[in-house]
This record gives sequence, structure tokens and C-alpha cells, in this order.
Amino acid sequence: MKDIFKETDDTSASQLERLTERDLSRRDFIKFCTGVAVTLGLPLGMAEKIAEAVTNPKRPPVLWLSAQECTGCTETLLRANHPTLEKLILELISLDYHETLNVGAGHQAEEARIKSMKENKGKYILVVDGSIPVKDGGIYCKIGGKTALSLVQEMGSQAAAVIAIGSCASWGGIPSADPNPTGATPVHEIFKSKGIKTPVVNIPGCPPNPYNFLSTVLYFLTLKKLPELDDQGRPKFAYGRIIHENCERRPHFDAGRFALEFGDEGHRKGYCLYKLGCKGPETFNNCPIQLFNDVGSGSWPVGTGHPCFGCSEKGVGFTAPLHSPARSKYLTPPSIFTEVYPGKEGVTPGVKALAAGVAGVAIGAAGAAMLAGLGKKDEDKKDKEE
Amino acid sequence: MNQKDIKMMTPTTTVLIFIMAAGFLVAVYRMLFGLGAATNLNDLWPWGFWISFDVLGGVAMAAGGFIIAGAVYILNWKKYKPIVRPAILTAFFGYLLAATAIFLDIGQSFRIYHPIYMWQVNSIMFIVAIHVVLYTTTLASESSPMFFEKLGMTKALNLIQKIMVPIVLFGVLLSTLHQSSLGAVYLIVPSKLSPLWYSSNLPYTFLVSAVLAGLSVVSFEIILSARAFKHKLPMDILSGLARGSLIVVVLYFVMKIWDLVTGPGLGAAFDGSTAGNMYLVEMVIGVILPLILLSMKNMRSRSNSIYTINILVIIGTIVNRMNVALFGLAEYTGRTGADYFPSLMEFVLTMAMVAFAVFGFKVSAKYLNLFPETQH
Amino acid sequence: MAMNRRDFLKVAAGSGLLLASDIKPANATMPKELPPQAVGILYDATLCIGCKSCMVNCKTYNSVPDGALYLKGRDIPYEANNYEKGIWDAPVDLSSRTVNIIKVSKSGTAVNKDSTENGYSFVKQHCLHCISPACVSACPVGALKKDPVNGVVYYVENRCIGCRYCLLACPFRIPKYEYESASPQVRKCQLCNHRYAEGKYSACCEFCPTGASIFGKVVDLKKEAQKRLSLKTGAEYDFPVQTVDSKYTMRRPVSKYINHVYGMTEAGGTQYLLLAGVPFDWIGFDKNIKDDFLPDLTWAYISKIPAVIIGVMATGAVTWAITSRKNKDKGES
Repeated sequence: MKDIFKETDDTSASQLERLTERDLSRRDFIKFCTGVAVTLGLPLGMAEKIAEAVTNPKRPPVLWLSAQECTGCTETLLRANHPTLEKLILELISLDYHETLNVGAGHQAEEARIKSMKENKGKYILVVDGSIPVKDGGIYCKIGGKTALSLVQEMGSQAAAVIAIGSCASWGGIPSADPNPTGATPVHEIFKSKGIKTPVVNIPGCPPNPYNFLSTVLYFLTLKKLPELDDQGRPKFAYGRIIHENCERRPHFDAGRFALEFGDEGHRKGYCLYKLGCKGPETFNNCPIQLFNDVGSGSWPVGTGHPCFGCSEKGVGFTAPLHSPARSKYLTPPSIFTEVYPGKEGVTPGVKALAAGVAGVAIGAAGAAMLAGLGKKDEDKKDKEE
Repeated sequence: MNQKDIKMMTPTTTVLIFIMAAGFLVAVYRMLFGLGAATNLNDLWPWGFWISFDVLGGVAMAAGGFIIAGAVYILNWKKYKPIVRPAILTAFFGYLLAATAIFLDIGQSFRIYHPIYMWQVNSIMFIVAIHVVLYTTTLASESSPMFFEKLGMTKALNLIQKIMVPIVLFGVLLSTLHQSSLGAVYLIVPSKLSPLWYSSNLPYTFLVSAVLAGLSVVSFEIILSARAFKHKLPMDILSGLARGSLIVVVLYFVMKIWDLVTGPGLGAAFDGSTAGNMYLVEMVIGVILPLILLSMKNMRSRSNSIYTINILVIIGTIVNRMNVALFGLAEYTGRTGADYFPSLMEFVLTMAMVAFAVFGFKVSAKYLNLFPETQH
Repeated sequence: MAMNRRDFLKVAAGSGLLLASDIKPANATMPKELPPQAVGILYDATLCIGCKSCMVNCKTYNSVPDGALYLKGRDIPYEANNYEKGIWDAPVDLSSRTVNIIKVSKSGTAVNKDSTENGYSFVKQHCLHCISPACVSACPVGALKKDPVNGVVYYVENRCIGCRYCLLACPFRIPKYEYESASPQVRKCQLCNHRYAEGKYSACCEFCPTGASIFGKVVDLKKEAQKRLSLKTGAEYDFPVQTVDSKYTMRRPVSKYINHVYGMTEAGGTQYLLLAGVPFDWIGFDKNIKDDFLPDLTWAYISKIPAVIIGVMATGAVTWAITSRKNKDKGES
């Protein structure tokens, strides 16, 4: 399916070429919209609506605030092919502020940000990557002399919606790992403590699959609302299942075939990595389905032979040791196991029927015998008695 | 009616032969294709219709042999001499059929002789197996006079007559042991068998109910033969058997009520469950009604009423055996979801075995001197 | 039909003695204690993740000669040794082809592991290798035997007559029968005793990834089980994997246990012990199973047999003597 809208050659040279080229064939565009609709699990008819939304001459404004981040979440978007990053920022959205991709710098960049915020108040999408440090007044991350803490509040309160991209913005990520010296805090917790009501979507991952982010953005633009979220604010279409449920090595887990050491026979045969500490059973994400970089099957950690470490899951990624065994959540529906007592209390129907039959014959025969033999007779004419 | 007047080829006999043939085919099928193909037995119902009805019921019905033989040869109650032969022959057929049922029910039929030299003395099944082998042999010896007479083997006949008393005593011993052993088979499943039947007295209640059933079967068969072969009815024998049955049924009643009251309590029989209902069927038909009827003198002195009482006891005993072997285990097995209803083949084979008993008895009546006192 | 009374008494006494000598007291008693080198398995339901690796490997390693599932000429539906052949069927219960099975018990939405409230628990069901096995005492021909040294209850196929009394007798419903065969056998777990000679142990334990099933001497397993019960819930513990004395451990927090080790006393004690976070009757252990040694219940009757023999023969002989003298006196023959 992914092949339908894969670009034919994706070298960085051709990418550069396309950066300057502003042509987008209608076919490619419709393909893209269809692709997005499918990723979001929407009916294919939605492709038209998506197309409408993004061909709005006024491209929707997006501001991107980077706090305690590694820029991985931006990098991940570079690996997107449908749309490519340049199509996204040049054709589809108006990226008015992004530290890495800004043309300007310093005061110019900040002015652009302030201008966009004023013009698009209440209408722009704020994307945040990186966690927000709160310790010591938040001084551990400052942009243009302002703390990330104050920036996120200011920008977030005036946004239409906030997308927290990456594990850091979603639940704290690597900066929040023990002992969390900077007080790294995810965006939604900041909002909660400060009473900011702007809806937040979390797209965790380190980095997350770019298509999870892109689909969410497109969904919002098309339908003017956020996709269905779970109790941690993650879109269900991407984070609704644990990796264990979609992993291609699952049959090996089910059959008890495990790799015990890196490089052993089991490992070379591609067996399940549970015993090497794979956190697939307790991590919600769609990595085995979406894969990374559009380079075909196996392009995700487990596929390459390294256990998942739960980068997108709070309490797992950067918290649980890499090679300790996963604590399984939501083990496969117990319907595939036999119940210890599959029957109900009481007697099964066949035996009950047999009992009824036996009782019936017994009572019938007894009744007949009594009727025949116990009648009051003075003399027995049938039997000759001695 | 004299032996020569007995007609062999009646419509009844034809039906019996037909049923026996069907049973034979079923037996062959079972031997060729295994138990799963011929029966509906499964891992949670390892014993079903054949064990409960044919083996347990059949052995209980065959108890008459040792009782009458014991009465005649050990207690020297010569009054019952005329019915010794039919009683022993009935018992012999009963055990042949039980043995055939066992042969077909065990998974490895041709290893049936293993218990003779592979002993495991903690096993009640071992005790049962040894006793069945010995007792069938004993019954054969007890029946042999009829055959020796017919075949004119006077020397063998005289020899057997000389040692008949010890053989009979041996038979009494063996019967006492294995009738109670069949009850003891179920001592090992206290967690599975309903408390309506499970008690440490199982062997003794089985023994007493076998004696009761034996007396009734003998009496039943006397009346039936008299009607079928047009003999005179020996009323003094029948009344004597009825008096004996009265004593035994009172004893049995007391034992069963004791088990009920000291076990699950009286209410358990009336709780409307399958087990409770089957318990009531067994007790009312097989114990209470016979007890009431037998206690009435006029019921004990008329053959019609005696016949009825015999039928009630026979039905009640069979229901009791099926209760212990099947319905008493049903509540426990229900939770596993495993079900059991006998297959058509199981029914056919059982009917064939009963048919064989009836047919065999008729053949014996014609060709062996079964009722010497009635021949002119 | 007259017989000399003396001759009769001789015969009666002789046959009585003959029968009484039937019962050999020496092998009459069933074991009541753990054998000296008793081995077994400890299963911890709180560690079990339901991967069924134990089931698969049980089938694989028992499909070889001397294994519990071996049948000459049959390698379907078992997995053969090299994973390539055979089919792994999804069994719904122990059967003639499945001697070890993982089952689940659940309630409500079944999301909480090892809980009875909207929760679930796994259970590993196979032969418990009782100290005083009902099946061993039930078998008329001694086709099921308990090893006097390691206590494994094993099957001797060439003795079995297929009476299926062992299926009836086992309180845990373990032995299963090959109804589908014309030459059927009884099948049940034998603790992989065919692997001991080469220094190996039960395959289910060798391949369990979490240490839910561990093999070892029963005395050591009991100590390990008691130790786990004494630990605080939530404390980190290094659970041994594969064997109770293994150096390979998995560190994880201790779950909340039901404060009981199943198999210490039930049915007189077993060599397969279980720990769980839910009540044991919830995971399929019949609560009617008491601590009595089941073979004793039958032995209570069997032990009376010599007395019955002597009693009946003696009473019968005396009765005959008295009644025939009476008859003689009365003038009857």
C-alpha cells in the first residue's frame, strides 16, 4: 500500500531539487491525501475533504516551539515521503516559526513569531517538541531570553490546538529520566497546573513516526477537531494497540521461540526478542505497521534484531532497564486460552437427558408393573399355584 | 410343559437373534476401530453406559446364584433345591455378559488376562478382576452338573457333586467380596461423587443391594419361566424368597437412610437437582415401595404382587448402579463442559447382551435339565 | 452328595489359607512421604505471561522415543525437533496429545493480571505427581508406577489393559486416553524423566522465559515457595529461571500472592507445587480435594479382606457342619 505513493528516487540531491521546485502534480497530491486518510483510518471519501482543506490558499499557520529537545522530532519529519517535508512546509502549512528551519534568526525570528501569533490568534497550531524544565524557575531552557516555561504558556494559551511531538513533550522523555535534574515536564502537565484549556495531543516516540504527526495535523485541518484520543492524550489510530499485538515476530513468541543472546541461533533466525528485554508487550505504538523511513519491511528496531525499549511509553522508555523483561500489559485477548472451567455449574445436557430417560423408563415400567400386579384379585386365574 | 414342548423358533426368538447379530457387528466394529469410534466416551466420562448398566447392573442382577447356592448347600435349606439350577445359570449368564462387557470396554481387550499375573494389590479393580475370573470359574463348576448330565459324563458328574459344598462356599466368599468391591471402586473419588451416594459404606450398601437384587431376580425368573414354560408356581419358595427380601430391604433402607442423614442430610434428596431426583427415583422405586409391599403378608403370598415387587427392586437396583457410576458424578463433571450420552452402538450392544441372556436361558431350558422337578 | 465332614473342612481351610496368602503386605502400602530425591516443578502464576512456550516444548521433547507423547510412526500433530515439521494444534484441554496446558481464568473485563476483580490468571495444568497417587493405587496391573527415588509417576505401556480407572480416580483429572486409537494408551506428563539420564530436566522449565516454571528437588522448591510468600509485595526479587538453583535470574517486583502453596498437603501432598495471586479454586483446583491420601480410602476396605475371607470360610464351614448334622439327625440325606 505504501508503494502507491512512494517517490521514485529519494536522494538528498533530488530532495534539494524539489525544495526549489514548486510543482505538485494533481495525481501526487490526491495520492497523498488518500494516503493520509488511510493512515488515519478514515473512509477513502475523506480524501476529497483533506484535499480541500490543504488547498486552502491561506495555508494554516503552525508555530513550532522547541524546548529541551534533541531535534530528533524535526529530523524524523525529514524522513517522511508522503508528504515530504518541503511539500509540507511550502505547500500545505505555513510554518511561521521553527528554530531549525527558520530562514531568519535572532530578533527577526522572534518578530516573525510574535507577528504570526497576533495575526492568527486562536487559530494557529502550536507544535512543541522537547520537555519543559520547571526547576529553578525554568532557567534551564531559554529562547530569546524567555524561559521555555513562559513561552509555552504564552503560545499555548492562544493556540487552537497543541501537538506535543515526541516523548519529551508528551511525558518528559529522556530529560525526565531519574534524577530529572531540570524538572523536565510534559506540555499537558504544564497546562493542567496553569489552567490552560487548549487541547493537547501527545505524539510520543523517540522519535515518533512522522506519519503519526502528519496524519494528526491533517485530520485537524480537515475536520477542525482532534482525532479520538486515549486517556494519555495519544491518538488512538496510532497508539491504540501495544506493539506486541502487531509485531511480525509474534508467532515466535506464541510458539516459545526466543533469542537468548545477541548473535545466537535464535537471534539469527529472527526469533522473538522478549527474553532480551523487548518492551513490545507494554508499549503502545504502531511501529511494526508504519515502520520507519519507507524502506520496506523490518525497518524498525525489532525488525533489525534489537528489542524495543519502549521509547514512546511513560514508565518504560528511559525508565526500565533495556534488557529487563517487559511487564506485559493487555496480554492477548484471553479468548485464545481455554478457560479453566469452560462449562457451567450443573449437569450437562446429554447426561441430563440420559438421567431423564432412565428415570422415565424406570417410573413407567414400575408404574406398569404395579398396575398389572397389584390389582385386588381373590384368585389368580393366570398362574397355577401350588 | 416338558422340555420337548418348548418351541425354539418363535417370533420372540427371531427378534432376539436379530438383536444379537446387531450386537455382534457392533462388537466387531469396536474391536477394529476403537472405543472412540463405537462409543461417546471421552476423557471426562471414561466410564459410561457399558460399565454402569452392563457391568455394575449385570453383576448385581447375578447375585442370586450365590445366595440360593449358599442357602441350599451351606445352610442346607433343601426347600430351595428346585431353583438352584436356574439361579446358578442366571448368575452364570449374568457374569458372562459382565465379562463380555468388560472385555469390550477396556481399551486393550486382548490384555484382559493381565491381572492374573500382574498384581497391584492396592487396586480394587485388581481385586474385582481376580474375583470375576475366579467366580466365573466357580459358577461354571456350579453349573457343570447340568452339562455333565446332558453329556452323560457320569464320572465327572460324581466328582463335581462330591466337592460341590466347598465350591459353593468359595462362591459365597467370592461373591461377598466382589459385590462389595464394586462399591469400593468408588471409594477413591470423594471429591467427585455426590454425597448422596459417596460414603465409606459404599461397599456394604452395594453388597446388601446386590443380595436384594439377587433374590428378586431369582424370584422374577422363577415366575417368568413358570409362565413361559407353563410350570406350576412354587409358592412356598416364592414366599420364602419374599420373606428373605423383606429382611434385606429393611436392612438396606436403614443403611441408605443412615448414609443420607449422616452425609448431606435429608434435604439433599429433595433439592430438585438431577442427583437429588435420581436418588428419589432409586429409593422410592427400589426400596420404599418394595419395603411397604413386602411388609404386607398378602402381597408376599400372591405371585402377581411378588412379580411386581421383583420388577421394582430390579429397576431400583439398576438405577442405583447408574446413579453411582454416572449421575452421581455429573454435577462435578458439569463444570468442565464435557457431556456424555451413550451412542447408538452402546445401546445396541447392551440390548444384544440382554437378548443373549434371555435367549441363552431359553436354550438351556430346552436342552439342559434345568427344572428337574417339573419334568414328568 | 454326602461328603465326609473331615474332608470338607480340610478343603475349606486349605482354600481359605490359599486366598489369604493372596495379599502381600510388603507391597501393599502406598508411599506416604516424599521419596529421598524427589524432583518436581514450582509454578508461579504471577510470573506466567501465557506465552505457551512450555506447551510447545513439552510436545517437542516428548515426541521422541521414551517421551510421554511418543508414538512410533506418528509425528503429526506434534512439532518435531527441528521446528520445521508438524503442526502445533491449539488444544482446548489436556488430551492424549497434550500433557501440559496453559489455561486462563478470568472475570469481568479481564484487564488486571492475577486479580479476581476484572482480572485474569494463568494456570499450568499437568500431572501433579502426588506423593500417594490415586492413579498408581487404582491401576489393577501396575501400569502406572511411582519411581521410588525421584517420585515421578510414570506409565508402563505394556502392562496397561485400558480399564481407565486411573482417569476416574485422579482428583485432578489428569490422565487422558487415546479413544481415537484401536490400540490406545494413557497419556500424562512424566516430568520428562526420559531426559534425566543426559543431565536434562523438564522441557517446560527449560524453555519458560520468565521463570514461572522451575524444576528442582521438591525440598528446595518448597523452600523457594515459602521464601516468596514471605517477601513484601512490590519488593524486587531475583526470580530464578529454569531451575530453582539457577544462576540465571530475572529481577522483577514480587506480586501479591495468596498465602498458600498448593500441593503441600492437598491429596496428601504433590511434587508439582503452585503459587498464585488468585485463589486456587478460581484457577481450577477443585476445593473438594482434601488432604487425605486417596489410596487409603480404598485400602480401608481392602485391608479387611483377609478377615472377611477367614470369617466367611469359617462361618460357612461351621454352619454347614451344624446344618448337615441336623439334617442327618432328622433323617434326610
